[in-house]
Parts: sequence; structure tokens; C-alpha cells
Amino acid sequence: MATCNKKELLIGVVMLGVALGYLLMTLQLPGHSGIDAAFVPTLLSAMLCLLGALQLFSAFTSVPANVAPSDSESDAAPAERSDVATVIKTLTLIVGYVALLNPVGFPIMTAVYLYLQFVVLTPLDTRCNHLLYALIAVVTSALIYLLFREAFDLMLPSGLLPF
Amino acid sequence: MLDLLQQGFGAVFSLNILLLMAIGVAVGIVFGAVPGLSATMAVALCLPLTFTMGPQAGLSLLVSLFIGATSGGLISAILLKIPGTPSSIATVFDGGPLMEQGHGVKALGVGIVFSFLGTLFSIAALMLIAPQLAKIALRFGPHEYFAIAVFSLTLIATLSAGSMVKGLFAGALGFAVSTVGIAPVEAVRRFTFGVAELNGGFAMLTVMIGMFAVAEIIRVAETGRRAQQGKAKSVSMKNIKGFGFSLKEFREQLPNAGRSGLIGLGIGILPGIGAGTSNLVAYIIAKKRAKDPESYGKGNIGGVVASETANNAGIGGAMLPLMTLGIPGDTVTAILLGGFLIHGIQPGPLLFISQGPLVYTIFAALIVATFMMLFMEFYGLRLFIKLLDVPKHILLPIILVLCVVGAFGLSSRLFDVWSILLFGLLGFAFVKAGMPAAPFIIGFILGPMAETNLRRGLMLSDGNFLAFLANPIAATFLGLALAFVLWQVYSALRPQKSSINEILRT
Repeated sequence: MATCNKKELLIGVVMLGVALGYLLMTLQLPGHSGIDAAFVPTLLSAMLCLLGALQLFSAFTSVPANVAPSDSESDAAPAERSDVATVIKTLTLIVGYVALLNPVGFPIMTAVYLYLQFVVLTPLDTRCNHLLYALIAVVTSALIYLLFREAFDLMLPSGLLPF
Repeated sequence: MLDLLQQGFGAVFSLNILLLMAIGVAVGIVFGAVPGLSATMAVALCLPLTFTMGPQAGLSLLVSLFIGATSGGLISAILLKIPGTPSSIATVFDGGPLMEQGHGVKALGVGIVFSFLGTLFSIAALMLIAPQLAKIALRFGPHEYFAIAVFSLTLIATLSAGSMVKGLFAGALGFAVSTVGIAPVEAVRRFTFGVAELNGGFAMLTVMIGMFAVAEIIRVAETGRRAQQGKAKSVSMKNIKGFGFSLKEFREQLPNAGRSGLIGLGIGILPGIGAGTSNLVAYIIAKKRAKDPESYGKGNIGGVVASETANNAGIGGAMLPLMTLGIPGDTVTAILLGGFLIHGIQPGPLLFISQGPLVYTIFAALIVATFMMLFMEFYGLRLFIKLLDVPKHILLPIILVLCVVGAFGLSSRLFDVWSILLFGLLGFAFVKAGMPAAPFIIGFILGPMAETNLRRGLMLSDGNFLAFLANPIAATFLGLALAFVLWQVYSALRPQKSSINEILRT
């Protein structure tokens, strides 16, 4: 219960933070007289702030009273241990993939990305079959590249490859 | 109407469109069946493939995917006891026990046949209602559209599963994200920070691909390495006559199916909520109305019938507001909206006048895809079961690559690829915070509609807001929206929770 409330509190803080950020940006918009381009964003930031505050308030009020469960629907979450390392590795891979897509090209980067991502995501109880992974990665990459280039006229960045 | 429908069938019955649709239904069933992949993802990923097709072929493919994926969820719901998509959660309740008792084929047969009937029922309703509704909607001006958008926005945010505050926040945030770019009417740049790519705002598809596909991949990265992948049990198809259940059982389930079909259709029409909610509602009501409610949850085919009829009846329901008003009924139709726009077609009442043949081609495609689904899903079952065994750590990276291709294909710029990554992270944060993603999407789509029509309406009435209330249709919808919010606040203040919310939370 305590961790759950802390989580709800944190969610509230993030919600309010996002709302205030949007409010700040809205205040810099030109206008603010009657109904103009700034009207809807102003309305929205007020609403976001209010909802963020409500979330914080409900998280706070449910701390001492253990009677009613708070509004969270993710009580089952602690059962699954989250694997932060894999998430960070995956995100790094995706960012690297997108960043190098243009200079290195789609075919090479896709094959490399797929292979590495397969390895990163392989379940702990399964052995990495590197040869198979490499084969799937290369074939998939070539297939997608050729399919989109030839059949759907979508010019994916070819990068270093001459074709 | 009949000759238009005939034309529609004529267009669909060409070799390449039929082939495309068969592929669409099969791919859809796979996306529905594999837990973690959804109908929304299937349509979003295949949309780039349709860029170079004509609108008839492209939209036929997309609706085939929609039908296949909505129904495919029942395969894993029954065989793995894991719902393949949120729309078959209630199928697990009885389909799972039936499988354990050795009635797997019967459960699958019932599920598939009633999926089929539910879809046909909703398409029939769509074909009857849509042209009439479009006639009425033709007279709608900015006042009415503003009111309908506001009504839809309040509906989705409050009806979404879980906490109402979070649902409303998600909806408002989606609306806020949609304000990025050049503002309607006086073309002020908002929140672009001088980045030229942001002038047009975020593309709808990048938001959807990010929130639904990329977020799912990050989520699997978090839990997938420790989770064990369920092994799909196979079922023996020997000595099976027809679809594995008797005519008597079929007749007994008809009232249940009719009721569930109506529930699915009604909930499907409401913007923002669709099959994910209606299958649970139909299940609860079927259980309440049954002669033997205690046998539900222990392997009563009535549970499978209710869930599968309702979720598939949502297809026609969700298409209705999309085709007549340009308002998507759920997240899949939100992508279909993008599909229409990419082919230069603006869904709405004018569609029935300017693109009559296309409308009926879509109807015909829906019907043909439904029949394809019935036979492919039952007789190709073994193949789909095999595909359930494809490991997630192989499948999801490939899907990410397809997401990247799809985003890049929108306008051949890497900006859109970065956008899907951004929205993927946002979607992951939503999952972590227990915040529903559907209100965000609907807020993102309906927000600009509400704002643009508000500004236009005010210009028409010289800045007088009372014109919105003087218009009977607009006033009705605004009144309904207000009543709905008040009712929600009232019921939120009362301690007891409704049984639907209770079940949605679990």
C-alpha cells in the first residue's frame, strides 16, 4: 500500500510538472485577448494543472486512510520485476539505429540493429543462437528494403551501399 | 443502394484486391492472436503499404486487417488463456476452462462463428444507418461539429478504464499535443520552437505507431526476458463436423448473441471506446441474464458467444461515426481515418455523395473479409497456432523496423521516425502510470476538430457564443456532455464502484 501511494504521488508530481510546462509555454504565446490562438491552450493548461493537482491531492489523502484502496489500477505491477538494464539497452539501440539510419543506410543499420536487439531481448532461459540471429537479421533487412523499394516505391536511405 | 453495392462487389472481386484482402485477413488474425500485437498495430504497420495502391485496394486491405485482428484474439484467449487483444479479455473467462475440459475445438468453433455473425450484423447495421445519418450530418455546420467533438471528448475520457482523473488528463494531454503547429484560423505558430518540421504538428500516424507499437516493444524489453512464453496447445481437428458444435447449442445461444451484438454495436458507435469495453459489458450482462449464471467462468459457451459477438459487432459500430462524421469510433478507426486522408479522401457526410462507389466498395470489402475470416480462421487454425510460437524477442524487433519504415514512409523524413520514438516513450510512461492511451489518441484527433469548429462557429456568429446554444443539435450535444460530466462526478463521489469498472481494473 505504501509503495503504491508513493507511486501515485510521483505520477501526480509528473502530471503537474507536465501541466506547468505546458502552461509556461502557453503564456509565451502571442494574444491572450478573448478567443484567439492562445484560448484553447490556456483552457487546456488550466485543466491539466487542475487534474494534476487532483491526482496529487487524492494520492495525499489516501496515505493515512488505509480503508479505501486508492485510484490505482496497477496493484499487480510489483509482481513482475522490471528490468531497467534491458530497457536502457533497447532504447540506446533504437536511438542509435535511427541516428545512423541516414548516414550508414537502411540495409546495413537494420541488419545490425535487428541482430543486437535479438541478443538483448533473448529471454534469460534461452541460449543465444548467434548464427540464426544474424541470418534472420540480414534476410529481414534485405527483404524489407527490396520490398519497399521495388514494390511500394518507398526510397529508404541506402547510405553506404551503392544501390 | 443495391446497384451501388453491386458495383462495390464488382470492385472487390478483382484478383489483386481479393489476394490483398486474403493476406490482410491472415495477417490480421496473426496480429490478433499474438498477445502484445493488436488490431491497432496491424493497421498502423500496414498503412504504409497502401500508399502506392489505389484507395479501393488500400482501404480493402485495411478493413480486412481490422476484421482479422479483432477476431484473431480469440485464438490465444482460448488456447493460451491470454487475451490476444483487449477485445477478447472476456473470451478467456469461459474459453480457457472449455479448453481445459477438452472442448477446445468447440470453444474455437463457437468463437469464430459468432465472431462472424457479430461482424455481419454490425456491417448490416452500418449499411442501413450510415447513409441516413450522413444525410442528416450533411446539414451540420461548425456549431454542431464543435458540440459533437466536445461530447465525444467528455465521453472517452470518463469512460476509459481506471482512474477518471488519469483518463481526463490523458485526453487533455492528447489535445495539448495536437495544438503543436500552425493554429487554425489565424495561423499563429504554436509550440514549434522555430523547428520547421513542427509547423504541421505531429502526424497522427506517428503518434499512433509510437503509442501502440513502440511503447509495446519497450514494455516487452522491461518484462519479456523474465516472462515465460506460453506454449500454445494444439487441438485435434479429427472427427469434427462443421464448426464443432451442434445446431441445438447454436439455437440456444441466439438470444445471447443478439443482445451482445446490440451491446457491441452501441458501444462501438460511441467514440473512443470500442471492443475492449464491449466484450466485458456483454459478458457481464450475459451472465446476469443466463439461466445458469454460476456455470459462467467454468466453461459455458455462452461466455465465449457474448464476448466474441460483442467485440466483432464493434467493427461496424466504430466505422459508423468514422464514415458519416469523420470521428473515429476507436483507435483502429483512428488509423483508418489516417488511411482515408492519405488517399486524399475526407471521411464525413460528403463521402456518401462525392465517393459513393468507394463507400460501397468498403462495405463490400467488409462483407467479403468477414467470410474470409470465418473459413481461414477455422480451417487454417493449425497454421496460426504455429505462429503463436514465434518468439517475441524475434518478432518485436522486426515490428520496430516496420514502424520505422512506416514513419519514414509518411513523408520521407527522419523527423517522423524521431516522433514515433518520442511517443513510444510517452506511451511507455502511460503504461507505467496506469494511464489509458485511448483518450490521448482521441483527444489528439478530436481536439483540433473541436478547436477549429469553435473558431469557425464564433466567426459565423460574430463572436457570440450563444449561437452554439441556440442551435438545437449543438445545444443537445453540449447538454449531454455537461450531464455526462456531472453524472460522472456524482458517481465518482459515491463510494461504491460499478461492476464494469471493477472488472476493467483487474
